[in-house]
Amino acid sequence: MNSMETLEQLKVRIQAAAPGAQVEIVPNGCAASPPSLLLDRGHTRAVAEFLREDAALRLDYASNVTGVDWPEKTVKEKVKVRKSAGGVEKEVEEVRERKTPGYLEAVYHLYSMALKHGPVILRLRTENRADKVAVPSLTPVWRSCEFQEREIFDLYGIVFEGHPDLRRILMWPEFTDHPMRKDYVAPDDYEYEPTPHDAVLAKAQRHYPGGTPA
Amino acid sequence: MIDEGLRTELSRQGVVTTTLEELYNWGRKNSVWPLNFGLACCAIEMIATSMARFDIARFGAEVFRPSPRQADLMIVAGTVTKKMAPQVVRLYNQMPEPKYVIAMGVCAISGGPFKEGYNVLKGIDRYIPVDVHIPGCPPRPEALLQALMTLQDKIARQSLTGDKRPPHLKAEAPGECPIPAFGKHDLEPPNNPALWQPPPMMRTE
Amino acid sequence: MNLGPYSFLALFAIAGVAFAITPLAIAWLWARAFSPRKPGPSKNANYECGLDSQGTGWVQFQSEYYLYGIVFLVFDVETVFVLPFAAAFKGLSAGACAAMLIFILLLVEGLVWLCAKGVVARR
Repeated sequence: MNSMETLEQLKVRIQAAAPGAQVEIVPNGCAASPPSLLLDRGHTRAVAEFLREDAALRLDYASNVTGVDWPEKTVKEKVKVRKSAGGVEKEVEEVRERKTPGYLEAVYHLYSMALKHGPVILRLRTENRADKVAVPSLTPVWRSCEFQEREIFDLYGIVFEGHPDLRRILMWPEFTDHPMRKDYVAPDDYEYEPTPHDAVLAKAQRHYPGGTPA
Repeated sequence: MIDEGLRTELSRQGVVTTTLEELYNWGRKNSVWPLNFGLACCAIEMIATSMARFDIARFGAEVFRPSPRQADLMIVAGTVTKKMAPQVVRLYNQMPEPKYVIAMGVCAISGGPFKEGYNVLKGIDRYIPVDVHIPGCPPRPEALLQALMTLQDKIARQSLTGDKRPPHLKAEAPGECPIPAFGKHDLEPPNNPALWQPPPMMRTE
Repeated sequence: MNLGPYSFLALFAIAGVAFAITPLAIAWLWARAFSPRKPGPSKNANYECGLDSQGTGWVQFQSEYYLYGIVFLVFDVETVFVLPFAAAFKGLSAGACAAMLIFILLLVEGLVWLCAKGVVARR
């Protein structure tokens, strides 16, 4: 990793090689994991091919592709607002709620087998969590993304455009939910709990005929 | 049939007496052929049991059959996912009578450490009748041998005639279990009501 | 009439057949007495698998198998002729050897044709 350039230098080179690409450096929360490059959906393939072919980088191995579900967040912020109350204008601090939109993300970890360095982490974001969930697929660039993108499609619902064979891999084809999303509710098929209380007890009792545990 | 004291006395003199039932069960229990059915980590322990150190061959069970049509014991070793569950039931159905099932490991008994998973079936006894359960994660090979011995005792006690005879000798007991179908959110049905009821809760306070 | 040694043969033949048939008969009687028949859709399925069989079992065979069949037949028939020739080699006249060698030459020509066609080469 020492011989590799920093992410800022890499960003400059990417933007030089793929003009029009919007690359953003997303810092990661903890010191253990390095910051990642957020790519826009328009120029993803061009940037990916640059990363694979560039002589100094040669990132030829996508070791892991995973998905992240960012639900929409309600952010409460204190805003100073001018309010007129009874003819007198006052500046009052008001608590406003703002909703940051949610999105789904695919995160790629790239290593170089030729030059023995890495990882470089890429992020691809969808527009929202509901209907605009398409993202370009990087399987034509790195073959190892094939099954992993299928898994993300299965568990998160991100549709990868350009994927040669996009179908569910862990769940059966007739399944309709996406289990790794934050709002997934597992079906109730009775789970044994030794000493259930309250809500768990109510949920368990529904499985017994007559309502009482036999 | 014959007095136990007389029987031991005779056997000490070199005369062995037996009943037809005992002879039939003795032959069956000492040649139980398992089906090659390892799903997950418990399969490694099953393999270890069949190797030299723990040696399941002493019990006559070293021929693991690849085909369900030649097996009489199905050792469900490992986590049964909901995607795999219909296949497990179909293979159980394809086994000829008399057939036995050992649920090896906590995953096959109740879902195990992964029971809250979205794809984990909480125990294979929801769809097929299980004769012996082996707790453990994974159970040691000695535990699998203990389970095999328990199954052998169970086979030895089975009768050929009368009301207490096992279901495979009764014409009205079904030989096949219904295979669950893939639904939109879960398997349909989520369990087989004829075989599995929610266990009684011990304490509800 | 004197049966002679054939009486033993008849006895052993009957004993052999009885030895084979008796366990099967016992098993059949036992099953009739104790085990009820339980056929079902999975038990009667053609193929044992966790998944349902799809499609028909009839596939289109590759024509190479036909060629192998023909080649085998030709050389098998040749072997049938060559073996007695090899057994009686020492007592034959020169003309007979010459005729046989011409026969083998014809078949070698067939083999050369097959090699040229590429059937025998390793693929």
